Amino acid sequence: MPLTETSAFKIARRAAREIAPGAVVALDRGLPELVARVTPESMGVWFLRADGTLNGIPLSAADAAAIVRGGYVDLAIVHPAQVTADGRFVGRLYARDASIAPPGIGVDLASGARRIIALHPQINEDEPEICLASHLLERPVDGVGGIDRVIADCAVFEPQGTEFVLSEIATDRQADDVVADSDLSEVVSISDYPAAMDFTVPSGTPESKVHADGASALHDLPDGVTVFIDGFGGPGGMAHYLLMSLRDRGSRGLTIVSNTAGIARVVSFGTPPGRTAIDHSVLIENGQVAKAIASFPVSPSVSRPSEFELAYRRGEVDLELVPQGTLAERLRAGGAGIRAFYTPTGAGTLIAEGKESRTIDGRDYILEYGLRADFAIIRAHKADINGNLIYRGTSRNFNAVMAPAARVTIVEVDEIVEPGQLDPEEIVTPGVFVQRIVKRPDGFTGYE
Amino acid sequence: MTEDKERLDRAIMAMRVAKELPPGGTVNLGIGIPTLVSMFVGDDSIVFYHSESGVLNCGPLAEDGNEDIDLINAGGQFLEPVPGMAYFSSADAFAMIRGGHVDVTVLGAHQVSANGDLANWMLPERGVGNIGGAMDLAAGADKVIVAMEHNDRNGNAKVVEECSFPLTGKGCVSLVVTDVAVLEPTPDGMVLRETAPGWSPEDVQEITGAALIIPESVGEYEV
Repeated sequence: MPLTETSAFKIARRAAREIAPGAVVALDRGLPELVARVTPESMGVWFLRADGTLNGIPLSAADAAAIVRGGYVDLAIVHPAQVTADGRFVGRLYARDASIAPPGIGVDLASGARRIIALHPQINEDEPEICLASHLLERPVDGVGGIDRVIADCAVFEPQGTEFVLSEIATDRQADDVVADSDLSEVVSISDYPAAMDFTVPSGTPESKVHADGASALHDLPDGVTVFIDGFGGPGGMAHYLLMSLRDRGSRGLTIVSNTAGIARVVSFGTPPGRTAIDHSVLIENGQVAKAIASFPVSPSVSRPSEFELAYRRGEVDLELVPQGTLAERLRAGGAGIRAFYTPTGAGTLIAEGKESRTIDGRDYILEYGLRADFAIIRAHKADINGNLIYRGTSRNFNAVMAPAARVTIVEVDEIVEPGQLDPEEIVTPGVFVQRIVKRPDGFTGYE
Repeated sequence: MTEDKERLDRAIMAMRVAKELPPGGTVNLGIGIPTLVSMFVGDDSIVFYHSESGVLNCGPLAEDGNEDIDLINAGGQFLEPVPGMAYFSSADAFAMIRGGHVDVTVLGAHQVSANGDLANWMLPERGVGNIGGAMDLAAGADKVIVAMEHNDRNGNAKVVEECSFPLTGKGCVSLVVTDVAVLEPTPDGMVLRETAPGWSPEDVQEITGAALIIPESVGEYEV
């Protein structure tokens, strides 16, 4: 039975039913791209395509792979040549000629995506390259144990380790016939009660990311978690309103990760004349901070110590001192699913003590670990309602690296706009990295 | 006796450092004397300034009343917007540094050892300090120039045989410009290259905490 446009769209619609509103879905080339065409825009789905775009936002290859490895892909839809009952799969290019085909992003998807479904257009022994198999042909494998479900135009199969189970069947077909006709009886057993395949277009809308105020955006920030706090040290790029909301919420025992631990208030760092900026000190003097991970934790002036330094000297807070570039790279790695990396920074210094080290090409490097947090509180200039962000000037610096590295990233912006009002070429942080958006209240200055 | 000898002021030191900046090069200036260096780069010599705050090709400091909190350098000073600036994240700012894209950095120091170890982030008596971008610059910039006074406020030598303060980087310093001399750390020891007017090599040795290697010809501090 050749693949017709009708059957291709049927597969795509059934596959689209696997997608939750607002989900991030990575699409392999070819048939999976049809899934984006049949998914209603109102579902707010983020499609990461093989051409490196995310809903039209152009990404570098590194950033696209970071989204996958960083754990942001809820569902990957692939179109492999072969799937085995234990969930391994072989890409089509490899299947044709392994000597010329690159592994592509399939390998990243296999290890990074939460779920992977395979589209299986034809069940046809005349096309032996596209098949369900009990074991793989002798070819390199893109993914091990990755495929959760195989969707064909007349049936759905679940890899169960040693065999596939036919779990759904099209209403106009008989499960026995499908298995027998396609010579799958050796690898497929039929579920006792296969469900009827549903080819209707899915619906639903994602929960809005826009929160009315800081209390709402921080409503579930508990005691004892790690929070990234944005900015370089001055009032530029700092989410003062959310910082005050966090103080009002009163969550305690926090580990804060930030470039400084609050110096603007005491030395006017980056602060216009005559102003006193709100900074991390509001959390420290309220007894909410247990530990800071920072590169510039104390005041550059010995005679004007910060709240953090005073608390540190009283033994009330711990400090993990990190070189600034190492902090930035630990955040970048954390957001990109890279668990650790070797850096030359700090080799031979106190920073290297207790860390693994390695000499590569005659130079000493130390092992540093990626950093992730439960929450990030960041600042941007504008967001659209999907969470795409642009920044102003040097206030991008730590905000843009923190956004991808937290489970819940909450952004404070000057302005919230509709989709399409930000130029995709200028978007710095794609909305997949942003879970909540709050507009800074009119008249709120960030100064005491 | 060296106590009465006149030392060069910070502006002269900055002028001396400015001569080391390669035309067309990418340069990162630390806080303090290094910040002054940009004032002495000739108009005919284009240098691209990089700051860890996430800006390349940054211009002069902003004039009073023109402060923009979204345009600062790594020292928290306000910058004047100039054509051709580029903004980027902290990850990119430090990729530039560690990736070998910064030709020269100029840093202050508490101590520099004869073989080029740098200590500039913590005074032991304070017990806590700020690293900021210094360790990355020490590890990543092609050339690390230290601009500092030859002695601290109490007269202690800052050019030493071995650093006693916590290190920022090992063997990373290429050139040391002080208020009395220009010196070059080497694996064999600290070589005296230039002395300030009125200072003999022996005078410099007297106030230095490391045995200097004094070549046959030592130049005059050149600005």
